[in-house]
Amino acid sequence: MDFSFTPEQLALRDEIAKFARQELNAELPSRDREEVFSRENWLKCARFGIHGLPFPRELGGSDADIVTTMLAMEGFGYGCRDSGLIFGINAQMWSVQMPILQFGSDEQRRKYLPRLCSGEWIGAHGMTEPGSGSDAMSLSTTAVRRGDRYVLNGSKTFVTNAPVADLFVVFASTNPSQGFLGVTGFLVEKERSGIRVPRPIAKMGLRTSPMGEMVLEDCEVPAENVIGQEGLGSKIFNASMEWERSCILASYLGAMEHQLETCVAYAKSRRQFNRPIAKFQSVANRIVDMKVRLETARLALYRVAWLKQTQDEAVMDAAIAKLYLSEAWVQSCLDAIQIHGGYGFTTELGFERDLRDSIAGRIYSGTSEIQRNIIASRLGL
Amino acid sequence: MELRDILHDYLVGEIATDRESLDPGENLLAQGIIDSMGILKLVSFLEDRFQIQVGDAEMVPEHFESIDAVCAFVQKKRNG
Repeated sequence: MDFSFTPEQLALRDEIAKFARQELNAELPSRDREEVFSRENWLKCARFGIHGLPFPRELGGSDADIVTTMLAMEGFGYGCRDSGLIFGINAQMWSVQMPILQFGSDEQRRKYLPRLCSGEWIGAHGMTEPGSGSDAMSLSTTAVRRGDRYVLNGSKTFVTNAPVADLFVVFASTNPSQGFLGVTGFLVEKERSGIRVPRPIAKMGLRTSPMGEMVLEDCEVPAENVIGQEGLGSKIFNASMEWERSCILASYLGAMEHQLETCVAYAKSRRQFNRPIAKFQSVANRIVDMKVRLETARLALYRVAWLKQTQDEAVMDAAIAKLYLSEAWVQSCLDAIQIHGGYGFTTELGFERDLRDSIAGRIYSGTSEIQRNIIASRLGL
Repeated sequence: MELRDILHDYLVGEIATDRESLDPGENLLAQGIIDSMGILKLVSFLEDRFQIQVGDAEMVPEHFESIDAVCAFVQKKRNG
């Protein structure tokens, strides 16, 4: 494995961090409190090129390889304190744009990817249903072929970006007798009749990222909007989750690094009992543990990048990275609060928001329990 | 031990643990016996036990819908 980065890659990471710090953090406490999604910041990120990083230049992207993309997302997480915005963009990139790129037709790629990369359109991914969560493929939404169209019926929940989305990737069963291998992915435009987003869902964290339900009632979708082919849904879903697990976490690395630096600076400057609190072993050791977690997380994540770059598939390693990083991010937030004492508990410093945001990481893109199940399965257990 | 028996015993022992036996032609997908987690285990088992590689493109209903179908798939892979 070669983890050395080129000067250009490092410059891109630093450039994104600087852009995010300067442009994306204003009025975050109030936006978080009021659950406000910033379309303006979404567009700023798109114009900067974040949405299109690993996508082909001719489709509105930048042709970045996966290692460069992860490094860029690390810089994004380092500079941007708005985890909701980071999450929403990642959700679109890996579970909407990437399936279109990997499995879509040329026409679908040309029609949708430039709009999504530019920020003109927002994409959402509808998989989870009221009755199917971790067992995602046991879904009950159906798609029945009628001539040159499919008619979709069912409902989806916990759909990130749903309240503001223009395009939905929707999974439905086209052949129940084939179980999870009878699931098909569809591209459904918001303007289509028969699709409703009844209400946004309030949540404890990631509050600047809107989430909602989606109801499909005799929603007619042209047959050319099938992604790939009938029955490919399971493969599309697994591939997009692998991408999401790999890349969404890169931003956590940046956020954890930012927290670590903040804690080091605070521990050196905050004095109690006539000395900096960093001189107390209990404080120093907590910071050391933050550093150890950060560096082991970095190794796990860039190993996934390397595997995906060289072998394309990294199921078990992506699960290991997702499990480890999401748990490490929660612990990093708790440590940052503890090191800052009473100040850490206040809303002003933002650590409590980080903590609320971090909890979601143990749940989305497959819970920590599901990651363990995947690893166990790959071990033949 | 016959290939069909090996597969049957594995499925009953590791995946369909609430069943004592499975018919060779029983639809494993429609009944949810093989689900999205189960197939990861099954493929991992097939690759280790029979020294074959199962590609993404081969994860289709025709190869996994019954014990007979898995048997035929494994035999085809082993025969190259």
